[in-house]
Amino acid sequence: MNQQKIFVIVPVFNEDEAVLKRTLQDLLSLGYNIILVDDGSDNDVEEIARKYPIIFLRHRLNLGQGAALQTGMRAAQNLAADIVVHFDADGQHDANEIQKLIEPLSKNECDIVFGSRFLNNKDKQSISASKKIVLQTGRYVNRIFYGILLSDAHNGFRAIDKDAIKKITITQNRMAHASEILHLVKKKLLRYKEVPVTIHYTEYSKQKGQSIFNSVNILFDLIFKKLNR
Amino acid sequence: MKLIQPLLLLALIVIFISYFRWFRSAVFDKILMAIIFCGGILFVILPDFTTKISSSLGVGRGADLLFYIAIISFSYLIMLLYSKIRRLENQIAELVRDQAIAGAKDFSVKKNEDDGK
Repeated sequence: MNQQKIFVIVPVFNEDEAVLKRTLQDLLSLGYNIILVDDGSDNDVEEIARKYPIIFLRHRLNLGQGAALQTGMRAAQNLAADIVVHFDADGQHDANEIQKLIEPLSKNECDIVFGSRFLNNKDKQSISASKKIVLQTGRYVNRIFYGILLSDAHNGFRAIDKDAIKKITITQNRMAHASEILHLVKKKLLRYKEVPVTIHYTEYSKQKGQSIFNSVNILFDLIFKKLNR
Repeated sequence: MKLIQPLLLLALIVIFISYFRWFRSAVFDKILMAIIFCGGILFVILPDFTTKISSSLGVGRGADLLFYIAIISFSYLIMLLYSKIRRLENQIAELVRDQAIAGAKDFSVKKNEDDGK
């Protein structure tokens, strides 16, 4: 494979130190460049970050994951990235699977790759029933709003190639960014693909992750976004 | 004239003046606000007028009609404020992002220097 500049964007907000360190070590051991975006955490993330050979950015205020990803994308653009990967810091995503996500981009089969929990039966079983219902509903909400039906509505694990980075600007500061990306994919006619990924639901990530009630917030963000246009 | 009428008129006029004195907003907002205030003054001076309109609309009392109008204007106002807050949030995000990018630190460069020592 030719040498591509791959940047993994890791947004963090009040992440547990040990979990964050493990995430960074996993990524570094596989040789990826990391852009760590501290979204205004209360703890001193820089103190942890300076121990690793990574790019570190800090939001002075907490803006939300969408905003942090957008900051990371801009930084990656400045660094002439060929591919960016969105990666959660809470240990849910598996660094070994980045290769799978990148592959279709390297082959120029598509512009953006989404990770999906629902393409693999084994992965499907690890998801709680309530989460399944919300995610299934979310798929169809996305379908109604954006005309794209993915197997997994809100998966934070994605890879985007450099032409698509220019076309994707996240303005949804909080969690509705996942749907916003879909909207942009549709609007800018980007080619997309889904790849099965395994999400590791640890006690920590469950606690740290979104409550299913947040889907209500996301829905309202989307509705108001439509009205504001 | 009942005592409540001059009181309401005074309150409306104060709000009316302060709105145009301190809040600058889109022309459409200003026109809308002017209509709301004029309507308010009209309804205070001629309470029977509301009853006339409301009965012609099939709503019982004039007060009920005012109540419905108030609900609608409140919802509109909330929407207006929401979209303004949204715009502000995005502007703040832009500022914070610019600052974050300007202050980006590349620890990999420093690491290499350390290794070289």
